[in-house]
Amino acid sequence: MALLNQFLKNMFRFAPLIFLIILITPLVLVLLSLFGEYNDNWNHLYNYVLPNYVVNSILLILGVSVLSTILGVGTAWLMTNFDFANKSWLEWAVILPLAVPPYILAYTFTGLFDSYGSANELVKTLFTLDENYAFFPNVRNIFGAIIVFAFTLYPYIYLTTRMAFINQSRSLIEAGKLLGFNNWALFFRLAVPLVRPALIAGLALVIMETLSDFGAVEHFAVQTFTTGIFRTWFGMYDLNTAMQLSSILMIFIVFFILIERYERNRMSFTYAGSTFKKTSKKKLRGFKSLCAFVFCFSPLFIGFILPIIELTNWAIFYPSEYFFSTNILNSLFNTATMGLIAGIICTIFALFINFLNRFGGGNFLKLSSQFLSLGYALPGLVLAVGIIQFFSLIDNNLTKYFLGFSLVGSLLGLVLAYIIKAYALANNTIESGFQRISNSIDDVSLSLNGSKLKIFFKVHMPLMKTSIFTSFLLVISEVIKELPATLILRPFNFDTLAVTTYIYAAEERMYEAASPAIMIVLTGLIPIIFLSQLIRDSRPGKS
Amino acid sequence: MKNINVLSTLLALSIFTNFVFLSEVNIYTSRHYDSDVMLYESFTELTGIKVNIISSKSQALIERLRSEGSNSPADIFITVDAGNLWKAQNYGLFRRINSKKINEIVPKNLRGENNEWIALAKRSRVIFYNKDIYSKADLQGLSYKDLSSPKWKNKIAIRSSNNLYNQSLVASMIAKYGESYTENWAKGLVENFARKPQGNDRAQIIAVANNEADLAIANSYYLGLMLSGKKGEKQLNAGKKVSILFPSQNEEGAHINISGAGIIKSSKNYDNAIKFLEFMLSEQAQKHLVENTYEYPINKNVEPSALISQFGLNFKENISKVSDFGKFNSAALKLMDRVGWQ
Repeated sequence: MALLNQFLKNMFRFAPLIFLIILITPLVLVLLSLFGEYNDNWNHLYNYVLPNYVVNSILLILGVSVLSTILGVGTAWLMTNFDFANKSWLEWAVILPLAVPPYILAYTFTGLFDSYGSANELVKTLFTLDENYAFFPNVRNIFGAIIVFAFTLYPYIYLTTRMAFINQSRSLIEAGKLLGFNNWALFFRLAVPLVRPALIAGLALVIMETLSDFGAVEHFAVQTFTTGIFRTWFGMYDLNTAMQLSSILMIFIVFFILIERYERNRMSFTYAGSTFKKTSKKKLRGFKSLCAFVFCFSPLFIGFILPIIELTNWAIFYPSEYFFSTNILNSLFNTATMGLIAGIICTIFALFINFLNRFGGGNFLKLSSQFLSLGYALPGLVLAVGIIQFFSLIDNNLTKYFLGFSLVGSLLGLVLAYIIKAYALANNTIESGFQRISNSIDDVSLSLNGSKLKIFFKVHMPLMKTSIFTSFLLVISEVIKELPATLILRPFNFDTLAVTTYIYAAEERMYEAASPAIMIVLTGLIPIIFLSQLIRDSRPGKS
Repeated sequence: MKNINVLSTLLALSIFTNFVFLSEVNIYTSRHYDSDVMLYESFTELTGIKVNIISSKSQALIERLRSEGSNSPADIFITVDAGNLWKAQNYGLFRRINSKKINEIVPKNLRGENNEWIALAKRSRVIFYNKDIYSKADLQGLSYKDLSSPKWKNKIAIRSSNNLYNQSLVASMIAKYGESYTENWAKGLVENFARKPQGNDRAQIIAVANNEADLAIANSYYLGLMLSGKKGEKQLNAGKKVSILFPSQNEEGAHINISGAGIIKSSKNYDNAIKFLEFMLSEQAQKHLVENTYEYPINKNVEPSALISQFGLNFKENISKVSDFGKFNSAALKLMDRVGWQ
């Protein structure tokens, strides 16, 4: 019995560690390129294009950060503290854009706003303007890209800061009021500084996703660091240099993660000893209510309603027999299955890692867990190369002789890719969930002679229900949208919705792409709606 | 009871289908056309050989093939652009295609040196002009080289240098005229751009139809696609306004590129793969290809689609080795970077 206990104890300690090592190996393989050869292409990159890539990427990140912060924090603050027109449904609807992948918004944007796009045509018809007149400015530039990313990704900031605003001690805000702060001062001098760690956690996700994107920036012809990676690989046929560039991108992200860590470590005070009272939301009337409504509605409109309208427009224009064809239904089934599998594994894994870390899992565990978060920022296609190299290493030395099938091109590769890609989402959510549980709870439980595992199942799990579910849903929504890694790692005849969309969109056959694209958004909506439900119900101090 | 019946029928069916499809051919392709999938289905109907597909980006597929090595389940790699075939050949991914039938159909300059790969269809990168503004006589004899002349300042629409077709065009210029000449040429061409490169090939043709540019450089089959009405009325009307000029008819000839395929070295279904390629070159398949993608056929017994042959059939093709594009692709890309071709 003692032996069994010992074994179990060790297994719980080592199994996650081994799993973690497997997961970071593809990333390490990408990073190893840094220690390889540096060829002549670097000269060319350095002299002609790299400065441009870097400047564009920085401008893009800055623009997206500012805009998504305004949208995310603004809506979160309004929802938490005020009552205004239509708020009851906006409160959950405002995160719907998370179901729209940036590349799909980009495609619909050009469909709408190109000089002969449907929005311009509509304006022309309405006001009987000259045929060559274009009312809307060109979107195929960095500003268009900033708008696309900000309006699809701001929900990450809304989610994190909303949680923080909700958990913010009302007494602090009331103290501010007593000190004579008006609403603006309350917002800028008290509320925002207090949720800064949450804001940065959300922002880190936004930035990582922006940097890893290829589809949207490619479509807008904005030359970023990531398009540079693919130009080098596809155009110069130089995968090695492309991997080196990707590694630099990852190192750059480490910098953001370090900031995020630093901020998160300061977060503890936010929750300490807060007493929650039922909030008294201020009721806005008339013009103010309208302003609040417009502010919250416009991101929803641009990031969700507008693309849906345009996609529907396309789908109707090109009535496709595909909508409920076996092909699309198969893709839907594959997408849902992969989403569920990845969601469950990724969340359980993040739970275990963070649980071990809570009881001093050791520096290696901590570091490698953070390292794994980098996967989120790595362009999917580069991650896929890491996985393929890793798997063929195993295939050539092991499975070939023992198992008679190869790992490359098996569903295992896809699951691995999804977990690496979405681990940052799960980890961020689970970690902040653990941090909200006071350490003294652990101490009390331990002193009551509970084992650590018992604490985990009896104390932590129930307290973290929301975080666990959130993590699960975020991972699913990421998997539904994931394209590039799926495209190259999948087995024969295995399509997901994103793949089906891509196959049409790659040829800019948007009419045909519309049906699967609508399916992506609709499928993505399911986890998102659950998620909205969670936020609404998560407010402590509710009566 | 009914349910059991249904179940057992299903079970029997699934066993049966597995039985029928014991024979298969595995394809990695970077062509994502529906019409290709229909072709694969008719191949299966004809031969009973099941076609399994993974479609993805060319370079990524090449990387997967390289990593898989001798474990690769793939039998055939299909891709567009000769540069990609050259790249795969250079990595030693292909084995010789031994088929008399294929050799008879595919001309030598559209095959790898030792039959490592073959062309399945051709396209030409041509000049589009607005029929209201220019007549054919106005542009007679225009060559790729002429496009850098100051005469065309702010008048040319072409897509970004990210695009493989442009890289191949520039690579073919390098192969023909050398790097420094081509660099000067590209510099002049960039100065003639009517706008920042944006959109796909069809967007360039539409720009010409809308007078945003005088000349557009794009692949031939896109006009066929627009004229077919499959892209909607707007594109159909735009397509009707433009015509094709085959460039460099007094010089090297119009730039030709291919969709092509090779058989993978580790192929476990070599015979099926040969059967498949022979089928793709058959009159039936070639007819289907040209009527759906508006590419030019490889099989001489098949005519191009009427939508595209109306612009001319007996134009002079640049018959230089298409594999040169691969050789000079990297140089072409760097050159385009240097002259600021976005």
